[in-house]
Amino acid sequence: MTSTARMAPRRTVGPAVPQSGHRKSVNRRRSVKPWNQRVAPYLFVLPNMLIFGLFVIYPAINNFNISMYDSGNGRDFTYVGGGNYQGMLSEAEFWSAARHTVVFAVFFVTLTTVVSIGLALLLNQRIKGRAFFRTVFFLPVVISPVVVGLIWGWIFERKNGLLNSLLGAAGLGQPGWLVNSTLAMAVVIFVGLWLHVGFYVLIVLAGLQGIDSTYYEAARMDGASGWQQLRLITLPLLRPTTMVVVILSLINGFQAFDYIWTLTGGGPVGGTTLMVQYIYEHAFQSPVQYGSAAAAAVVLFCAVFALTVINYLYNQRKESA
Amino acid sequence: MSLTALRGSRDTPDARGTRGTRRWTSIGDGPTPTAGRVLAYAVLIGLSIVVLAPVVWAVLSSFKSQSELAQVPPSPLPSSLRTENYTGALSSFDFALYLKNSVIVTVGATLLTVVINTMCAYGLAKYNFRGRNLLFLVVLGTIMIPLQLIFIPVYQMAAQLGLVNSLWGLIIPPAATPTGVFLLRQYMLTIPDELIAAARIDGAGEFRIFTRIVVPLSGAAIAVVTIFSVMWRWNDFLWPLIISQDQSKYTLPVALAQFNSQLVAPFNYILAMSVVSMLPVVIIFLVLQRHIVRGIASTGLK
Repeated sequence: MTSTARMAPRRTVGPAVPQSGHRKSVNRRRSVKPWNQRVAPYLFVLPNMLIFGLFVIYPAINNFNISMYDSGNGRDFTYVGGGNYQGMLSEAEFWSAARHTVVFAVFFVTLTTVVSIGLALLLNQRIKGRAFFRTVFFLPVVISPVVVGLIWGWIFERKNGLLNSLLGAAGLGQPGWLVNSTLAMAVVIFVGLWLHVGFYVLIVLAGLQGIDSTYYEAARMDGASGWQQLRLITLPLLRPTTMVVVILSLINGFQAFDYIWTLTGGGPVGGTTLMVQYIYEHAFQSPVQYGSAAAAAVVLFCAVFALTVINYLYNQRKESA
Repeated sequence: MSLTALRGSRDTPDARGTRGTRRWTSIGDGPTPTAGRVLAYAVLIGLSIVVLAPVVWAVLSSFKSQSELAQVPPSPLPSSLRTENYTGALSSFDFALYLKNSVIVTVGATLLTVVINTMCAYGLAKYNFRGRNLLFLVVLGTIMIPLQLIFIPVYQMAAQLGLVNSLWGLIIPPAATPTGVFLLRQYMLTIPDELIAAARIDGAGEFRIFTRIVVPLSGAAIAVVTIFSVMWRWNDFLWPLIISQDQSKYTLPVALAQFNSQLVAPFNYILAMSVVSMLPVVIIFLVLQRHIVRGIASTGLK
């Protein structure tokens, strides 16, 4: 006890602990550093920051600028002000993509959060083959989403698909999974979950390990049931992790594109076309409608940003209350 | 020293602890009711089948002939381990070229990523300089700006720099990964400043300190970034789809997606090449999963 008490205020002890940065700040900051030590950090960060600047930061700002211009070929631009936004908002295709994105994101985030917490709780017990299950659930995360979409699209095929062959053999009928837009959306959500949930299971597992086991010991001593322990200890203490899962899966869900592209191609009749695909098709496929693509990109950008901030603030407040 | 040490006091900094079975449990030893346990196993096994079945099915079917693939009901096993789908895809289409492009881009971008991310992380972790905090904020901020939200202006920048339809366009722009910088920086913070100070006293130059002391000590984190970068670049789709408009610059995922949607190549070829696309990353994952799991757990990032 005494040793920790002595350790605690160690910053005030000063020179006894050799912390170079700390000490330098005592005698004027810039004084003694030789020239090469002052220049070196800038040279070290330069290549990476240059690429950030050119390919992330400047484009992120330029996104707003571009959305004020229109172009039919992606080379010659004319200034149209807010015209792109007006055009976009009066376009049925945009609203369809926006609606589908929201539907997809809501189901994707909800299911991802619930399933990943459920699976992590199962895996956090003393269970034989836990390492095996963990490996299996994570496996899809490393597979190319393009390939995942291809394989599932083939399995969900109406006539020769594996699933319908099995259903047909069992006399359960052969639904047109990718022909009916509601079913196709369900399939897309399912494949998204299949592809990504293992990643979130890992995050939740890390969060579960962060919960002090003495809480459970005390709860058991007080006679709390397993369900009570889950409801009153695990889930509340897991909230920061849950927040991470919700934010990351939300950002992930709003960007969904590659596996949907090969799974349904956005069909049937745009039934699973989400925002990223809308933007891609308008900007890069003929007829090129650059303006509405850029405007939609700005809207998506702002939506993701706002949701992240709202979620963060909400959880901040809940934790402090 | 291990990455787990970064996660704060609740973890033991002992790397060997990650291998022990106890690490994945915190709800210790209470006797679980048998019915619940059976149910848990049933759920886990059932979901494992859902995860593995399509992958196994695809691998098995990649050896089937076109007529076998069209068979109803499908037979679970191919009649023989015929490799015609693989050889046929490579000979009648340019899949060898797409494979080569994918390998070049993956290797090139990963090398570049590791070099510039490590340098940047070192600058941010071990120097006090004006603007450091701002630059670190920039790194954190770029994590929040995925390509999917800004690809139009990024494409314009690439076009202005002449990077469209060039493999450099696939290598350079994605190479500065914010996740990599973040992960490496966090790791380098655990390297004692005294080591660097001692090397300076011995007369080592700044760059020499970096290559001789910091890089060797950051091996574990560099390994994680390398593995991540390989998987990201190998599986990348949206950016190559935009940049590689010319067929000769296609990467494997782009070729698979384009050929499948335009019904250019027969599905048995697509299937075989899908397996080729899956195989390297799955093997890397199975062999090195400890690093991957640790990397994700320590950053909470992909």
